[in-house]
Amino acid sequence: MNMVDNINKQQEEETAKYQGAEDNSPLIEFKGVTKRFGDTCVMDEMDLKMKAGDRLVIIGPSGSGKSTLLRVLMGLEKIDKGEIFFGSNPYITVDRKGRTRTDMSVRSKIGMVFQHYTLFPHLSVMSNLTLSPVKVRGMARSEAEDRAREYLARLGMEDKLYSYPGKLSGGQKQRVAIARALMLEPKLMLFDEVTSALDPEMVAEIEKVMLDLAKQKMAMMIVTHDMYFAKKIATESVFIAGGKVIEKCDPEIMFNEPKQERTRDFLDKVLHLK
Amino acid sequence: MNFDFFRVLSYWDVLLNGLGITLLFTVSAVIIGTLLGFIISLMRVSPFRVLKWPARLYVEFFRGTPMLIQLFWIFFCLPLVIGRDIPPYVSVLLAMVLFMAAITSETFRGSLKSISGEQHDACVALGLNFRVKAINVIFPQALLRSIPPLMSNNVALFKESALISSVGIADLMFVSSNISSSTARPVEFLTAAAIIYFVVAFPATRLVDLVEKRLLLRFT
Repeated sequence: MNMVDNINKQQEEETAKYQGAEDNSPLIEFKGVTKRFGDTCVMDEMDLKMKAGDRLVIIGPSGSGKSTLLRVLMGLEKIDKGEIFFGSNPYITVDRKGRTRTDMSVRSKIGMVFQHYTLFPHLSVMSNLTLSPVKVRGMARSEAEDRAREYLARLGMEDKLYSYPGKLSGGQKQRVAIARALMLEPKLMLFDEVTSALDPEMVAEIEKVMLDLAKQKMAMMIVTHDMYFAKKIATESVFIAGGKVIEKCDPEIMFNEPKQERTRDFLDKVLHLK
Repeated sequence: MNFDFFRVLSYWDVLLNGLGITLLFTVSAVIIGTLLGFIISLMRVSPFRVLKWPARLYVEFFRGTPMLIQLFWIFFCLPLVIGRDIPPYVSVLLAMVLFMAAITSETFRGSLKSISGEQHDACVALGLNFRVKAINVIFPQALLRSIPPLMSNNVALFKESALISSVGIADLMFVSSNISSSTARPVEFLTAAAIIYFVVAFPATRLVDLVEKRLLLRFT
């Protein structure tokens, strides 16, 4: 069993630990979370739960608050009201003076991949992957490099170890970005429209990587406009509009017979049924 | 009128010494001014007003006034204001450093501001603390982006340095001007000075272009 397999096994055990032995206690829980940008309310007292090991796909029209939800969860945006729990621990809260408080030890359990890769252009692929494990987590450089090699080999990028991001295709950059996030052994991965900037061939490349991660029971929260991929990868799906959760259900129900009129309208439009 | 450009050859060592002084002042001002400029740029992007405003005032003043006035003020007025003599070389170097730091700080500030918000987001997502983020991610990218404009600044300072001849520093401009007066051959010696400035500055500007292309090729 190689290093990455070991990590995956540990992740599964950790996931089980967060999930509880047989109960359905949530890994992530939003309680009445409100987020405003000026006068615009992008998350309106939002309640949302996600179980460990779930792959929650978030769909909704542009500007509905999907990406903001992920950014809030990653600690990139402050919230105005409400609280977010990770397992049974408060993760993001608002104090009496209205300031957002984030438990940094919890934040380090979450990884995020962005639409525009956000690789560090002045660092090689290897340095992109090892920077945080070595400088922040205190991992030995040789260990971090071994792990980086294994992840990149698994993603078919072993020949690009010392390339710079500027020399990679969009799909390759996104694979490196995924490997970089995985290097930190997150308990939850957030994917924010990671295929939106890619051409169709590369989209398939990245979707395959994500489906492989799904097989390893990695908990994921995925914002996507690709409904076919959403249906394929999701274990739970949620439709958001106007900063509110309109419908949350099994993807089979969501994509075949949604209960809410608004969800139906949205899906009809995006799937070109109208 | 008869021109005798061969007369220049008999003064080559004097002109070369002048060029040496010009380069000494330029290189010293570039090194100290760049370091100071970097610190000033950090003060300008700092969230603390107590750092931000003095830095802004300084930069705006030095960018908004002619370098010749700055040089004269530091050379003639500063000793009177502080009541102490300042060696001429120190005054001149101080003026050049302050001028260089002001323009360099703007170059650095522009580069720091040009780092996209997504890079900062990635640092948060990777759990990088402020020190690691600054030293390993933001500063290197900002410095790389600064290299071409910084090199242009250096070439500009090399040419501007001719002003220090006006306070009696024996740089290339000063010696060529003196020789041209004493030999009554301004055309030969001022042309020679211009050619020497060009011979140094032109390859430097080409180098700026080359470095810019190399950086673009590697990182974009």
